[in-house]
Amino acid sequence: MDTTISNDLIRGHTTTIILNVLSQGDNYGYGIYKRIIELSGNQYELKEATLYTAFRRLEGEGLIVSYWGDETQGGRRKYYRITDSGKELYEQSKRDWDFAKSVLDKLIKGGFDHAKE
Amino acid sequence: MPKNESLIDKKVKAYIENLFSGVGENQQLYDLKEELATNMKEKAQDYKARGMDEEQAFKEAAISMGDLSGLVDDMRRLGQNTARLAVNTTMTARISTAGIIAGVLLVLFGAFTVAMLYYMGMDAVSTTGTGIFIVAGGAIITYSVLTRETRRKYAMNRIRAAFYGLACGILLFSIFTAVITRFATGEMFIAIGSLMVFSLVGVGLLLFLLLTGAGRRKREK
Repeated sequence: MDTTISNDLIRGHTTTIILNVLSQGDNYGYGIYKRIIELSGNQYELKEATLYTAFRRLEGEGLIVSYWGDETQGGRRKYYRITDSGKELYEQSKRDWDFAKSVLDKLIKGGFDHAKE
Repeated sequence: MPKNESLIDKKVKAYIENLFSGVGENQQLYDLKEELATNMKEKAQDYKARGMDEEQAFKEAAISMGDLSGLVDDMRRLGQNTARLAVNTTMTARISTAGIIAGVLLVLFGAFTVAMLYYMGMDAVSTTGTGIFIVAGGAIITYSVLTRETRRKYAMNRIRAAFYGLACGILLFSIFTAVITRFATGEMFIAIGSLMVFSLVGVGLLLFLLLTGAGRRKREK
């Protein structure tokens, strides 16, 4: 898969992306990985190495919790669930993103026409 | 499990074991390995379902995992910390266990020799003289019990526990000297006098320790 978004641009949003997936329901590592590809319309792949590091950090910060599934075939899955403070952070991050997006839009695309307004 | 899945399973397992080889085993590492293996197997199976052979499916899954070295470093650091903690805990526990055993044996030894000498018809001073073992044993037991971590209480600081042992020892010693001076001099007032001197020191020390102690009770989780 071609990565069409630069990693620099997305790195700071890993947490928000994971919280978005988990706010739509509990999920496990590979499931989250697939869901992110799906959400991006096959335009972006978040490496699993990044995902697992993030899970450990988010769990340490109390934004998500984990529990083992009861699959018997092919090994147990470790599921993650978003906590209340995770949901709060997600809502805050969405607002921050909307604000940043509007400012960045002006900074990147704005010209003299925009400044005159 | 069907036979055609076993090659991927084996390769994934070997890959993950190799990745974390040399990292100290602990519960978190064990869990992480299981999590990674489950997900990686599932991914390889998906590649296989898209028409790759097993060898290729495994390779693709391994490549697409990305750079796991950060995760390995994390676990290595964690492993070192828990190993150090475990060594520390078991050392203290062993010293405490040895102390309790030695203390109980000393007390028993003292009690038995007192009884033995008494029935041998030895004079009262020699008989009670071996009671000094009970004094030493009591002090060692006090120290060892306090430095022991239990399910509900943390181990006491070693210096503080040593002072408790000393206080207990002095109190036992005051009784010991009182009895022995009573038999040696035949005068009760001298016995009470020596009892007073040592027990005042012992009680003073004990009260100080009891009143300044910090709580060792573990918080309920």
